Amino acid sequence: MAKNSKGIEVAEILTDQCIACQICIAECPVGAIELSPAGVARVDPEICVGCGKCSDVCPVEAVAFDRKKRRKIRKAPKAEAPASENIVAVCIEARGSSAATVSWELVGKARALAAKRGAKVAGLVLGTGAEELAAQAGATGCDEVHLLTHESLGRYVPGLYGYALSELAGKIRPDILLMGATAQGRELAGVVATLLKTGLTADCTGLDIEEETGLLLMTRPTFGGNIMATIFCENHRPQMATVRPKVFPLPAPPENHKWDLVRHDWHPPQVPVPERIEFITDNEMMGIDITEYPVLVVAGKGACSPDAFALLEELADVLGGVVACSRPVVESGLMPYERQVGQTGKTVAPSLYVAVGVSGAIQHRVAIQGAQRIMAVNSEPEAPIFQVADVGIVGEYAQVLPELISQIKARKKNHA
Amino acid sequence: MHIVCCLKQVPDTAEVKIDPDTNTLVREGVESILNPYDLVAVEMAVQLKEKHGGHVTAICMGPPQAESVLREALSLGADTPILLSDRAFAGADTLATSYTLARAIRTLNRESEVKLILCGKQAIDGDTAQTGPGIATRMEYSQFSYVTAIESVDPRHNRIRVARKMERGQEILEGELPALLTVELELAVPRRASLPNLMASLRQPIKAWNKDDIGGDVQKLGIKGSPTWVRRIGAPPPRESGPRFAAREGVADAVRQGLNTLLADGKMASKLGLSDG
Repeated sequence: MAKNSKGIEVAEILTDQCIACQICIAECPVGAIELSPAGVARVDPEICVGCGKCSDVCPVEAVAFDRKKRRKIRKAPKAEAPASENIVAVCIEARGSSAATVSWELVGKARALAAKRGAKVAGLVLGTGAEELAAQAGATGCDEVHLLTHESLGRYVPGLYGYALSELAGKIRPDILLMGATAQGRELAGVVATLLKTGLTADCTGLDIEEETGLLLMTRPTFGGNIMATIFCENHRPQMATVRPKVFPLPAPPENHKWDLVRHDWHPPQVPVPERIEFITDNEMMGIDITEYPVLVVAGKGACSPDAFALLEELADVLGGVVACSRPVVESGLMPYERQVGQTGKTVAPSLYVAVGVSGAIQHRVAIQGAQRIMAVNSEPEAPIFQVADVGIVGEYAQVLPELISQIKARKKNHA
Repeated sequence: MHIVCCLKQVPDTAEVKIDPDTNTLVREGVESILNPYDLVAVEMAVQLKEKHGGHVTAICMGPPQAESVLREALSLGADTPILLSDRAFAGADTLATSYTLARAIRTLNRESEVKLILCGKQAIDGDTAQTGPGIATRMEYSQFSYVTAIESVDPRHNRIRVARKMERGQEILEGELPALLTVELELAVPRRASLPNLMASLRQPIKAWNKDDIGGDVQKLGIKGSPTWVRRIGAPPPRESGPRFAAREGVADAVRQGLNTLLADGKMASKLGLSDG
């Protein structure tokens, strides 16, 4: 234990543990802690009074401080969480006459969470003529479906939907509110959390109920996917999370499931609402959502040429998949951004992921963690992609791919 | 037209890693940079200023060393840098961050009406994409997320038309100013700062604002105003690697062995409709 010149035992930051959350900086009563240029907290021992508060509030035990009678408080005292109903709510995102698949994945997960705390699952449906969608939500496993209809909600518009959903959530007062981390869901959740003045954890890849507290534990990748953080929201309701598509499986619809429909009226507030002038559906090349294919054949820098693409397309065809790519291929202009897998592209979870000439930087690897099987073809035996590949073939794509295609075709015949 | 850009200083996330054995952060050689999406926001703001006239204010909440990202914005053509720095702001999650930034923008608004707020779509350290929609909601501005192109801006009639990226295509939206946009990387290509601008940016004083400068409720700032809390951190679940086969020793053999390994559990074979031998 270090002492300062006044003989006070002072706190010390363990720099390799510190996550730079700055909570200790905020809590230190004498302002002895600051963020160092290296991005970690630093205690000025001459200012420190040895109270140990930093050690109490640190979420990752990055403060070395020894106190005989250590009183463990986890955070500054706050008001109790407001009263809420024992409901796990899922916002169902309309897509044409059905919903975004992630909404159904979430209904399945909500049932599992609700079972752990004896809660009900509520589906929240907004729009006009969304009766069919409400029925689907009931059949998928919601115990109650809340339908809010208004002519202004014919299709999603930013802002306005947020007001509608937060009013609905304000009425139902769910303990937990889940949404898909789609473009729409992420935008909408940000608005709703702000209006409800509650916490929101974005892009979760894991959800669970903490046994002793009943709180929702939300796990998400952070620092570009290099680190997983588990977040919770103790004193605000609802506990809100958006969840990435393809993280949870589609649930089997429960049998003999009974559900209630509750209709809600709504009067839109006077807020500026953008008007949709046009929607340009992606063209052939761009209209493909790579996250929906069971097999992805992925081109990397090492297979970034027009003649490689003929082979990649053929391989994707025989496997029933589609061609995607890593960032350098998009930068070269050979493929559109929509096909990019990676931290700045899409997170994917196909059954089979065939990486061809992909070196496998961390930003790429984190986005393919959900793949069931990874096969890598690369001429460079040291390529990091091999560290995560279930099967590796070291060789030039021009040599390996034709052989791979012909052997797969042969196995198809055998299978039939 | 007064345009505000909201900036964040972030660690270069490619460098931050966790040691899976000790569960500790490896920070050696990690540099702090201006969030790349925010860099695009600054470039766009400067382009709009060059076209329509006006003024670009760059604001950044962070510790004193976050000043460097404001200097970068200045070197690209931003006019006024404001650093929001106070112990009371520390430990903020997105709810408290959007509150603090909205308070600061309201303060600016009193001097000169803020017609446009540009934010990066998300920051590369947290990737939440929540702060922009949060600020727009608090300011009651028209909001446009994931903007890939600004088709037209008419400050006189307070209209803006943008293209934005959704899952299945591009949406063209039109709405009123004032507005908040969160921007994608393809919106603009950031320029390189000229040497004179770079030198000038180093000399320009940075305005530092603390909690008293933005007013408001101190209970809504920093850790006090943050509902979410980190319980623990850890390494992503590891993935084990399988065997490697070298085409050099016979490509047909390597491919055969590779496919045998891949299809060994039978499930994958039936999923793909292939025979496993």
